[in-house]
Amino acid sequence: MVDKLNRREFLSATAVAGAAMLIDACKSDSSDQKAVVKKSSLNNINVALIGYGEEGKVLLEAFLNIEGVKLVALCDIWEYHRGEGERYLKKLGNEVRSYENYEDLLAKEKDLQAVLIATPDFWHAPMTNTCLKAGLHVYCEKMMSNTIDGARSMVKTMRDTGKLLQIGHQRRSNPRYLFTLNRLLHEAQFCGKLTAIQGQWNRAVKEDFGWPKKYEISQTMLAKYGYKDMHQFRNWRWFKGLGGGPLSDLGAHQIDIFNWWMGKTPKSVMASGGLDYYKNHDWYDNAMVIYEYPVEQAVARAFYQVQTTTSAGGGYYEQFMGDDGTIRMSEDPAICAIYREARATAVSWDDLTQKGYVKAKPLAADTAKVDVRETAALAEYEIPVFFNKPPHQPHLENFFNAIRGTAKLNCPADEAFTSEYVIHKANEAVAAEKKISISDEEVRA
Amino acid sequence: MKIFVSCVSPIVAALLVATAAMAQDKVPLKTQLPKPLFVGTPVPLNVPNLEPPLKGKRADFMVPAGTVLLSKGKKVTASDDSPVTGTLDLVTDGDKAGDEGSWVELGPGKQWVQIDLAKKATIYAVLVWHYHSQARVYRDVVAQVSDDPNFKSGVTTIFNNDFKNEVGAGAGKDQNYVETYQGKLIDAKGAQGRYVRLYSNGNTTNKLNDYIEVEVWGKPAA
Ligand SMILES: NC(=O)c1ccc[n+]([C@@H]2O[C@H](COP(=O)([O-])OP(=O)(O)OC[C@H]3O[C@@H](n4cnc5c(N)ncnc54)[C@H](O)[C@@H]3O)[C@@H](O)[C@H]2O)c1
Repeated sequence: MVDKLNRREFLSATAVAGAAMLIDACKSDSSDQKAVVKKSSLNNINVALIGYGEEGKVLLEAFLNIEGVKLVALCDIWEYHRGEGERYLKKLGNEVRSYENYEDLLAKEKDLQAVLIATPDFWHAPMTNTCLKAGLHVYCEKMMSNTIDGARSMVKTMRDTGKLLQIGHQRRSNPRYLFTLNRLLHEAQFCGKLTAIQGQWNRAVKEDFGWPKKYEISQTMLAKYGYKDMHQFRNWRWFKGLGGGPLSDLGAHQIDIFNWWMGKTPKSVMASGGLDYYKNHDWYDNAMVIYEYPVEQAVARAFYQVQTTTSAGGGYYEQFMGDDGTIRMSEDPAICAIYREARATAVSWDDLTQKGYVKAKPLAADTAKVDVRETAALAEYEIPVFFNKPPHQPHLENFFNAIRGTAKLNCPADEAFTSEYVIHKANEAVAAEKKISISDEEVRA
Repeated sequence: MKIFVSCVSPIVAALLVATAAMAQDKVPLKTQLPKPLFVGTPVPLNVPNLEPPLKGKRADFMVPAGTVLLSKGKKVTASDDSPVTGTLDLVTDGDKAGDEGSWVELGPGKQWVQIDLAKKATIYAVLVWHYHSQARVYRDVVAQVSDDPNFKSGVTTIFNNDFKNEVGAGAGKDQNYVETYQGKLIDAKGAQGRYVRLYSNGNTTNKLNDYIEVEVWGKPAA
């Protein structure tokens, strides 16, 4: 991870006292963590990529920056995407064998160590289970599955086979997230007592995906792979039985951060949502969810909203709010912010600034209060960690380092399952229009 | 006009008439814009010298009356004749939609496409849509006009944001910009030539070079 970060870039971005400490704080793959697999001589890991759509392309681009790994095979049922991948890789001097069907790939590729899966959600469980059983380590995109049972089966196979299963919640390996969690939330207790959480992903109206008519897949082949027609094949995320709707598609990332940063799972969920805008989708297109996290004989409520009809409200972020301060995190550094309450005295902010944990932002000129009852404007700080890599790269690196035995997975399937479970429960709460309890037992696979 | 002329000196009047005629001669360039389309996880862009994003619609761009679209259906050649995706005719087929199947994707690194306008023309504007379903910046964008199909002589550079001279057309001074459904409008300032060539050198998402559409607006030589 950070050992793989461009050290100079990282240091210059964090060129403050205690930079070495910062690097330590960001390390997800620290040496004291126990390796899950035995150290091997895996200097060159042979990898196959299954699913070369939007996300498959993103993973490939990040993958190509990583040393000691080689893409040897590519699988996609759509010739249009498969051919694109093949030709691109060939032009890069990295010829791959390509397959329509992942089982053919597994039957023919005998020198593989790992697969990356970026197919629609309903294919994740069958593909992951088969690959793990074939002796491969698997990096599978989120959501783990479109069903709780599917996700549970993946955890079971991971345990049965002893192979690694990393779930693609890439923020768990993001140096900025790791730094902020370890140094600000935990060590400095920046937020004080956490009292509320808020997260959202609001996205503007978007036309459904189309497809080039000359590359239409035959009806027989679509049916063979579980799709009703080309529209469904291209827009699978909005259809029941294939994907999990916006809470699962967009919310998965942020609700996973809620659990990760709270270090626990919620005891209940209530939600409201509906299919109020789009005419040809199955899943609702908007939802507002409230999770209740137990904290010291009280509750911290987490509000999450996902909109697919408006991008208003500041984009996508997770915000942890406490009596001393607030941290707003996002994959987009421009959205990240930290605020200190005027009452906060427990932490020496000068000390944090000195250590390079925070950087003060100049106060805006127009901070005059409109109403005397308003709380004074919060002092705003920046998180001084930047990294110059595609967002998915550290998570892939963590996966490969875990295969080599030099790191522990940042998002193993059993851990991801707890997030997966509470997301599915939010979908259930929307349908049931009621509050649903979540016990500590059921949330674990 | 008569009344107007009668109350000013003849020279001023002549100037005013000429200005009015020139102003009348200019018309806003009217092109059809595709539907906006953004998908996927937004990528934080870390690009120097980036032009601030367009707020709303672009202001009218004035071109001489009689300016027409010269490029529609014209022959396209490229540095990569076996594209990663699509075919070269997509560059001038009139389809600016951002969805799959609308773009031709040339291989990694430095690449160019070239449009043959079939005859010499005076060019007032070039509009380029590389890709607009994601906020991307294409690197080292250079646009040139020439009468020489090999771009060895008589080359006019009408846009260049290749600060480091990666493409070899000289170090550019134009700014980087984020792709949108409105396309990039390049003021060609009446450059003359039969061929228009566009370079790029990968983009902020990958190493590839995409073209959804290029429109060349101007007047064919008489
Ligand atoms: N981590 C992230 O930030 C992130 C972002 C976007 C998507 N994703 C996840 O990535 C996965 C893919 O999403 P996408 O947006 O790329 O979808 P997509 O529809 O763009 O791509 C899916 C690809 O899989 C192929 N495919 C479908 N069924 C297949 C099968 N049975 N065998 C082989 N190939 C098959 C399709 O032809 C297509 O090329 C989803 O699980 C999604 O949730 C993750």
